[in-house]
Amino acid sequence: MNILLIEPHQLLASTYKQALEGADHSVAWCQKAQKALHLADNHVPDLVIMELQLQQHNGIAFLHEFRSYAEWQAIPVIVHSLVPFNHYRADKKNLESLGIVAYLYKPVTSIKRLLDAVDQISTSDLRAVA
Amino acid sequence: MEVHREQIDKLSENTRLLRALAEQLKIPLLQIARQTELPKTTEYMLQDVNEQASMALRLLDGYLLSTQQISRGDLELQPTTVSSVLYDAAHNLAGIAKQYSCDLELETPYKLQPVLVHRESFEAAILALGYSFIEAQATQDDNQKKVITLAAHRSRYGVAAGVYGRQEGLSTDMYRRARSLYGRARQPLPSLTSTSGAGIFLADSLLEVMNTRLHVSHHHKLNGLAAILLSSRQLSLI
Repeated sequence: MNILLIEPHQLLASTYKQALEGADHSVAWCQKAQKALHLADNHVPDLVIMELQLQQHNGIAFLHEFRSYAEWQAIPVIVHSLVPFNHYRADKKNLESLGIVAYLYKPVTSIKRLLDAVDQISTSDLRAVA
Repeated sequence: MEVHREQIDKLSENTRLLRALAEQLKIPLLQIARQTELPKTTEYMLQDVNEQASMALRLLDGYLLSTQQISRGDLELQPTTVSSVLYDAAHNLAGIAKQYSCDLELETPYKLQPVLVHRESFEAAILALGYSFIEAQATQDDNQKKVITLAAHRSRYGVAAGVYGRQEGLSTDMYRRARSLYGRARQPLPSLTSTSGAGIFLADSLLEVMNTRLHVSHHHKLNGLAAILLSSRQLSLI
């Protein structure tokens, strides 16, 4: 799969990139929302894995912008964040409408769990917020 | 919702700092945990883990030091050479800076007067501040060389000593707002860093015990945060 990884923390990004590439995925990484739009424009990803806490940008606002482009509306998004899902529970419908297929809380998500979530998306049409 | 907000407002400064620190420490701990899961662990990766753990421990030590100093109250200030503190802090930051591909520079004017500080607290403050700037710099434009400068210069009120970089958007207003938000918001300095910026507020807390605070400061063309320190008249007469 071609994965767009939006991760503001350089060292964490390097670790996740290594893990995903080790599982035969191709990964384009960026730290900022603006660059993510640019990368997606150059090479449409099969999957987006993203942090919601981005520098200068709110991840949810980014997703609204991302989804506003017709060609990116069907691309599944895994949120992989330092913010627990509880924080957004009131916004669950909003998250579902943004095509978030899984919400993974980083501190409790092992590399294996992340890779499993990616595999699940590559083999099914999972469309529900975890 | 109102009750919740009131409860948060009642949190002491100390608890707010602890909350910001807890958010911040998630990152190095997460990095260590995930790195150990990778199938191939190289010596280089182990060095990374070591640096991350060491920096996390230093931040924790800084927090403990600030709480100890607050409860003790009578902090003994000693004449200290700023350049030696900046040098030691730079030495301790070198490993983490290398990890983030960030160059560290030192700039202190020749024959700068000694200042009155509690050396241990001052060094811990510069270290915490430096860490925050290194981390923040890592999210700046990839095409620019990443450089952090630990610097001091004479100012009208004493000696300004702090950490500087090329980041834009660091203003007095923004910093004032961040001070009121930290421990309450996950990203009190969103234009500077995506983290809680705990190192900055920890540095501020350590300096406050020495009756000074961090201020937005400029050093040549660089922007940063610095404390104004009183010169030690006693030593300058020698």
